[in-house]
Amino acid sequence: MPAPALSPTAPDHPAQPQRPPTPLGLLQLFLGVALVGIGGGLPAHTRRALAARGWLTDAAFAEAFTLAQLIPGPNAVNLAAMVGAHLCGPRGAALAVAGILAPGLVAMLAVSVVTLGLPGGLPPTLQSALRGAACAALGLMLTAAVPVVQVALGVRGGAALMGATFLALAALKLDLLPVLAVVVAAGLLLNRPRSGE
Amino acid sequence: MSADPWDILLTFTRLGLVSFGGANLPEIERVLVEQKGWITPQVLAGGFALGQLMPGPNMLAMTHYGFAAGGWWGALAATAGFYGPTALLSAAAMLAWQRLSRWRWLPPLRSALLPFGAGVLLAGALVLGRSSLHSWPAAVIAVAAFVLLQRTRVNAAVVVLGAAGLGALLGL
Repeated sequence: MPAPALSPTAPDHPAQPQRPPTPLGLLQLFLGVALVGIGGGLPAHTRRALAARGWLTDAAFAEAFTLAQLIPGPNAVNLAAMVGAHLCGPRGAALAVAGILAPGLVAMLAVSVVTLGLPGGLPPTLQSALRGAACAALGLMLTAAVPVVQVALGVRGGAALMGATFLALAALKLDLLPVLAVVVAAGLLLNRPRSGE
Repeated sequence: MSADPWDILLTFTRLGLVSFGGANLPEIERVLVEQKGWITPQVLAGGFALGQLMPGPNMLAMTHYGFAAGGWWGALAATAGFYGPTALLSAAAMLAWQRLSRWRWLPPLRSALLPFGAGVLLAGALVLGRSSLHSWPAAVIAVAAFVLLQRTRVNAAVVVLGAAGLGALLGL
């Protein structure tokens, strides 16, 4: 049983009779988060599960969530890696990521074998169903974009930088890395730390 | 035709490292469909939709694309490449966070990355729209799903499954 490297709860959360976080406990927690999180909302489920066990305060969670958005990659998986690292070090991070990925990986492999392995392709009804699902997925993606766009519009130069990124990728089909470099450099310049702050 | 798993691993590693907040569909389409020719636009849209129905992060579509490109090893290589390096980076960043949090360039960096991430998301929505909206019923389903998800607390998987049923009924 490895002891947690950091004290996970703030002192203002007094003596709850909780078991301390362990890498295996994290695996279990994130398996559960993945299973209830069908269709999204993983960060919200993560916060709830951690709060229920008393493993992470809301403030520490908010900090981890912000950081997870700054690192490339899917937010929910980044968040699992960060929470795992924070509570139990590298082993905690590894098992948290394994937990959040495993159920979907197994399910997706099974579905891929069926949908991609059929000789002559999918039956027409299934193709129609998948097209319908893709339309709903587009709607879902737009709902996820709404808060991100709102926050981005509140940033200095946000509208211009967002519009430039959109045009460069969607209309001009430019390679992403140069666009990232130019937009982030412009954003850093616009938002540079001012003297006297 | 089956792509080399090593090539798949490297390609998806790169895709993971240039994704912010989840889906970077414009780049995924550019690389996997146009450049490598590993998947068709139909597989791109279908995999994305299937990803919404899976437990866990919705970008498990990567596993689907990897399977389409290179079978079992392709699926494993795509998944490990897309999620592994960014998860490592996240864990390392968390362990360095205490020092980073007082860095004066951190808020500007955040402000610079946010509009970029939003632009990527919108371009991704356009890519998905181009490959899945080919008729008026399809557009109506997309708008209805958006409004339903935006206005009510209904589970997203229910909406996607409902849309799949509608699509099958209408013969989209």
